Amino acid sequence: MINFTINGQPVTAQKGETILQAARKAGFYIPTMCYLEKTTPCASCRLCVVETDKTDGFILSCQTPPTEGLSVTIDSENLKAERTNIMRLYDVNHPLECGVCDKSGACDLQNKTLEFGVSAQHFSAKEQHRTIEHWGLINYDPSLCILCEKCVHVCNEIIGDDAIELQFGGYKSSVVPKNSEKLDCTFCGECIAVCPVGALVSSDFQYSANAWELTQIPATCAHCSAGCSLVYEVRHTSNALGAKPKIYRVTNDFEHATLCGAGRFGFDFGSEGAKDEAELARAVDAIQEHKAIRFSSLITNEEAYILQKLKESAGIKLYNEEARAYQDFMKAYGSISGKKSTGGSIDAVAKSDGVIVFGGRIATDNPALRYAMTTAARHNGAKVVYMHPLEDALLQNVVTQYVKYEVGTEEGVAAMLAKTLLKEADVSEETRRYFDDLDEGYLCAESNVGDEEFERISKTFARTKRKTLIIGSDLLSHGRAQNIARLCAMIEAYTDFSVVVAAPSVNTVGVSLICDLDADGANVKAVGYNAHGVYTMGSFGNVQLRLPALNSQEGTFVSINHQVLPTNVAVAFEGYTLNDVASRLGVSSANTIDYTAQLPVSSGFSGSEFDALGNFYGPLGEDRRGYVLENVDVEADGELEEVEDLPEFNGTVVYRCNPVNQFNAYTAQSRQLEKDTALRGSAQFAAAAKIANGDKIRVEFGSGSEERMFVLDGEMKGTVALVPSYDGAYGAANDRYRFEKVKISRVGSEV
Amino acid sequence: MHHEEPFKDRNVSEQSAYYFVDIEAYPENGWDKFKQVARRTFSGELFVGLWVVLREMIKFDIHTVQYPKEKLPIGPRYRAVHKLLRLWESGYERCIGCGLCEKICISDCIRMDTRIDENSRKEVTEYSINLGRCIFCGYCAEVCPELAIVHGPRFENASEQRAHFVIKDDMLTPLDLLKAGEQAEYPGFGAVIPGSDASVKKTPLAY
Repeated sequence: MINFTINGQPVTAQKGETILQAARKAGFYIPTMCYLEKTTPCASCRLCVVETDKTDGFILSCQTPPTEGLSVTIDSENLKAERTNIMRLYDVNHPLECGVCDKSGACDLQNKTLEFGVSAQHFSAKEQHRTIEHWGLINYDPSLCILCEKCVHVCNEIIGDDAIELQFGGYKSSVVPKNSEKLDCTFCGECIAVCPVGALVSSDFQYSANAWELTQIPATCAHCSAGCSLVYEVRHTSNALGAKPKIYRVTNDFEHATLCGAGRFGFDFGSEGAKDEAELARAVDAIQEHKAIRFSSLITNEEAYILQKLKESAGIKLYNEEARAYQDFMKAYGSISGKKSTGGSIDAVAKSDGVIVFGGRIATDNPALRYAMTTAARHNGAKVVYMHPLEDALLQNVVTQYVKYEVGTEEGVAAMLAKTLLKEADVSEETRRYFDDLDEGYLCAESNVGDEEFERISKTFARTKRKTLIIGSDLLSHGRAQNIARLCAMIEAYTDFSVVVAAPSVNTVGVSLICDLDADGANVKAVGYNAHGVYTMGSFGNVQLRLPALNSQEGTFVSINHQVLPTNVAVAFEGYTLNDVASRLGVSSANTIDYTAQLPVSSGFSGSEFDALGNFYGPLGEDRRGYVLENVDVEADGELEEVEDLPEFNGTVVYRCNPVNQFNAYTAQSRQLEKDTALRGSAQFAAAAKIANGDKIRVEFGSGSEERMFVLDGEMKGTVALVPSYDGAYGAANDRYRFEKVKISRVGSEV
Repeated sequence: MHHEEPFKDRNVSEQSAYYFVDIEAYPENGWDKFKQVARRTFSGELFVGLWVVLREMIKFDIHTVQYPKEKLPIGPRYRAVHKLLRLWESGYERCIGCGLCEKICISDCIRMDTRIDENSRKEVTEYSINLGRCIFCGYCAEVCPELAIVHGPRFENASEQRAHFVIKDDMLTPLDLLKAGEQAEYPGFGAVIPGSDASVKKTPLAY
């Protein structure tokens, strides 16, 4: 605690806080143009200057911590003159195109120019001709850019793409793609969000609407399990299109939260429906006939609860293999840890100084975790150990140790990892004996991970203080998932690691906490809700009964932080909802959100009403979104099982893994997101499978086959190819182990 | 056709042209009422009026405006149906699509739609004013930074369908009229104030 004064009033700062942060907490206003709470200070605008009694001249409050007894002045005449001059310089030759600029009405430069009363140009500089850059989803107008560097900082420190940099040239400076002619990045669009002026804009949104015409609807992203906060911005379409409401863009509270490209650009997955009595009756008949519903985890907690109530009242079986795998994993996990859920969160990852990622392609599976890892690496110098059979180019700037293991040997690796991390831990005699009895030679040889690699992990984590383990979804669907879960639970229970499980789908966690799921089979007949079935309903492609998509629904999700997050209706849906179907089957309620308060307390839900849930960040970044589940105690009666013989995956092996910004059938519908459906493999893979770049091929899985294009990826190594799964909305293959032996044959002649 | 009112002093006095009308007492009973009716019916006042009509008719000097064949001229600042103007030089629409008219409209009857065109400029694809709702307040013309939307003299907006009230093409100056120099600037709300050039601040130019 440091005590100092601002304008004569006493203020206290925490250790490590800057003058600006302390001032904001105490309610003082210091103007800034380039400051972003989540990055290190850019220190480019110099508007945040203050005077102190211990320094000569002005100092930057954004990067200076206060000292004990310091007396700070934040609004003298001198400071005002200095700041006004800075604003005058910002306005030199700034194009007077506010009339058409997208940012007008929500522009920091506009606001500050008016605040400091700059009504005329006081300085001169030669006008320069600058061309507008078109970078795919992003357009950049250098003449509007004020060179605040927010975009560069956020791209490097938070996202980890490191795709843009500032080209220094005095008055000619501009933002340019780093080491490349065109922008080559994951298109998260965070640079658009942080841009204080209209220099970086979404090319799709540009000039289509003004900031003040859009209605802002706070919601939760419906693409992955991170549950990021976002705001749907809705306006009517033109008269020619019926003047119906439409989502124009998605924004986020960039000061405190981050959003990936799928959330930002993949918003147009809504479906339209009408009330068709006959179709509703057919859906009800189908459910009554088959007494089973198969559903995906693209579902709200309330709907999952409706399904559970249907199961309880009408004996309807519920199938959701992906959530069942997660449920079983967490049950095994809890049998060791004694808690229903893991203790980690995305925030904990961002704050940690040591991260282990095990068994998942995190960068594309769950971008929020990737951003948290980047933040940890950049801000805390975190050591990141990435354990996976495939290297990930997106993480190469972050990962400090890459541990490659053989496909399928996760159980052995988990056992060795647990042994390494539990070396010093106070475990029971029995557990100690279990680890001592492990056949290290066999496990290391089969998994192809050497002793020295575990030794290095051990050394690294002896020095770190805040440690997190991220469990990827490879492990959830692994044949030995439950023993892997027990081994991972050992790590959380007996060390200071906190664990996050990267659940595979939006609300896998919620479904696993609410529904009793039944084991599905290949020929089981069921009604599909956003899944395949004899009768289908939902919001995808050609379903028989149209139900609202997740951006037309009120409800809650449970994120991997075990936080219950509300989402709202962006565009109203005209047809029926699952609630209408259920009320025909005897489970009725006026609104779907009436069930929010009834969600099972035994799973940790608090019983809050939907309308009581907030969905925003406070001015200082306080999370006011929903509530965090109580981590309920469960009986810790599990025991570690012997590690089974490790399987071998020889021949042609593919890994189900979606390209950047693609997650599910919703993102696959999106107009703006790139739809890469090709099988990607290395030259080694191509040689082994006897295929060449551009070949049309047929991939035969155990459960079926599909046609794809093969693309030779120069950046990839090894013998495993990547096959996307987001486009197969109804594929049951998504629920099995992510690595799979396949047969690949060429189709027809080369294209 | 300028007409000057001769009355300067509107107070009733000896000098002014105004005088109090001599009003006879109201009838108080039935008999008085009967007498008033009889007097009015059989006096010659009726024929005075008829004589005036007949006299004017045979003079053949009729002042009736033959609307709709003939229309009275309208003041230049009259606020009737809107016009969308074009740039004199290029013939492009003046509207830049800033949306201020849409925002300021107090009867919420303007709707526009914009997009980015091939030259990375903002293009107005749809512009409509629901004249059935418009109260002709002139705010849109006043707020327009480009003098693009103005009021015109066309005050007739009766139609069979409400949809006819919203057509952009009816408001936009046709190109042939523009070329013929017949696009009229509007001196009303939002127009450049005479002498405003003097108040423009110059940007310092060091080169």
